[in-house]
Amino acid sequence: MTPNRVQRGESKKRRLPLALLIVPIVLVGIGVAIFLMLGGDDVPIIGGDDEVTPPFDFIVKGASAVATVPHADEATLASTAEDVAQEITPTIDDLFTNGFLDPSNWRDGDYEEVFATFAPDAVATAEESVETLTLGATAGDVFATVDPGKSKLSYQVLFDPDGAVETAVVTVVFRATAERKDGTYLAIVSEGEFFLRQIDGWTITAFDVKRDDHETQPPSPSASTPPSG
Amino acid sequence: MSIVPFRRRIVLLLAFVVAWVAGSALGATEPARRASAAPLFQLEAAHAEYVPVLDGSKPIFVLVIGSDARPDQAVESQRADAVHIVAINPAEHQATIVGIPRDALVDIPGYGQNKINAALFFGGPDLVVESVEELTGLRMDYWAMTGFASFEAMVDDVDGLVVDVPFAMSDEASRAFFDPGVQTLDGDNALAFARNRHDLPSGDFGRSEDQGLLMVSALAQLKKEFNQDPARLLAWVASFVRHGTTTLSLDKVLDLAFTGTTINANKVVNAVFPGGTGMVGAISVVTLDGGTLDAISKDLADDGILKKANVPPSPNESLLGG
Repeated sequence: MTPNRVQRGESKKRRLPLALLIVPIVLVGIGVAIFLMLGGDDVPIIGGDDEVTPPFDFIVKGASAVATVPHADEATLASTAEDVAQEITPTIDDLFTNGFLDPSNWRDGDYEEVFATFAPDAVATAEESVETLTLGATAGDVFATVDPGKSKLSYQVLFDPDGAVETAVVTVVFRATAERKDGTYLAIVSEGEFFLRQIDGWTITAFDVKRDDHETQPPSPSASTPPSG
Repeated sequence: MSIVPFRRRIVLLLAFVVAWVAGSALGATEPARRASAAPLFQLEAAHAEYVPVLDGSKPIFVLVIGSDARPDQAVESQRADAVHIVAINPAEHQATIVGIPRDALVDIPGYGQNKINAALFFGGPDLVVESVEELTGLRMDYWAMTGFASFEAMVDDVDGLVVDVPFAMSDEASRAFFDPGVQTLDGDNALAFARNRHDLPSGDFGRSEDQGLLMVSALAQLKKEFNQDPARLLAWVASFVRHGTTTLSLDKVLDLAFTGTTINANKVVNAVFPGGTGMVGAISVVTLDGGTLDAISKDLADDGILKKANVPPSPNESLLGG
């Protein structure tokens, strides 16, 4: 063995403990990263802000016209009521998507888009009712995922004596299933009425909404409900 | 096989296992803490409600006029069988109804002294408003009016009124035949109930109170139906607009209806200006008690709420056993 080789050998012997120190640290880091990426539902997923909002549309069960003059042209009003329903439905779809289904909202408890749908006089009460009108301010601490269920709308449209639309009442039944971080499931049920008028777009001027959430079983794979169209 | 590489492999393998376990443990630690810190999710039924009541900064006065127009007659140019001041305090969720007997002798601006019911014939609802404002000093914000046929239709549109008939009625003239107790009156029966005065000891005064009772019953029913199905509000509003005549815009009718849903019907004071009956020539008239009229009017002016001390005795007291 030449001195150089001896020196190299000694040098290798001296470097080995350093590698033993570095490698575990690197591996711990890799382990944490792998766990975060592949781990269970009870940890935040890296890139959570980019989570996809499940597609959702209410099923519209019908729209009826309420006339304020005797002998109104019922057929015309009924047709207009259907048009109004078509106009308003995206607003209600968005209201519930933003309030219950968009992870970027409920993970942070930020429902600004929801409250933008309410008239100025109603918005304060709506904000106070955040736990009823949305998944809740602390939903991100509780829930892992939320999937929409079969949900429906029906409309009654009030016309003024000239046949113009005055107010529309939307009766809503919204259903979703939320999986908690502890693996249990909650059936979300929101039922109620929203009164809307056209004030810079369809705006909620009054509402009466109840929640009837209850424990539920994990959905079976075949029982998953595709978004309604 | 040298010993050193073998040891290195063992060490690296152990390090990897330790790293995997430690990494997993570290990865799991944070969310476990967050989960345990999360508040319990409330499972109680939640409820959120907002209705756009009328501005509660001051009371709202609505003059409700019942014209005695028969079918095919214009409601504006007949006589007023019913005249009621409805005072609403949105902030306090309270209301007061004060009836003015139709035969009450009052000053009708431009027409001298006459029965209040003649004001409608002379100058339409605006003159009735003027006459009442002069009589009471209260400023009416709106008026609303209906006739016989439209009143019946209005009641039928909301599938009848549930009324607790306070005493038995049997009057051929108005066709009011009722046993006491809670019952649903259709439009025809509601009109009969509102018109009956011949079998009431206090005649016109008692009838005015009964008319007020119909309004209180309607309010209670509106509130009940709204609580069960808020969309029912549209049926009530549409019925009112379809069959009534009013200075209220549809927006205001809606807001007034919303306001009505916040008022406790059990606390609505239903009163009638007291007075006595007399004759002017050959005509029977009612002379209102000036002192009580002033006290009631002044009491209502500030908040629309009538203090208990100013509530006059019921004109139907003898029938109510009170």
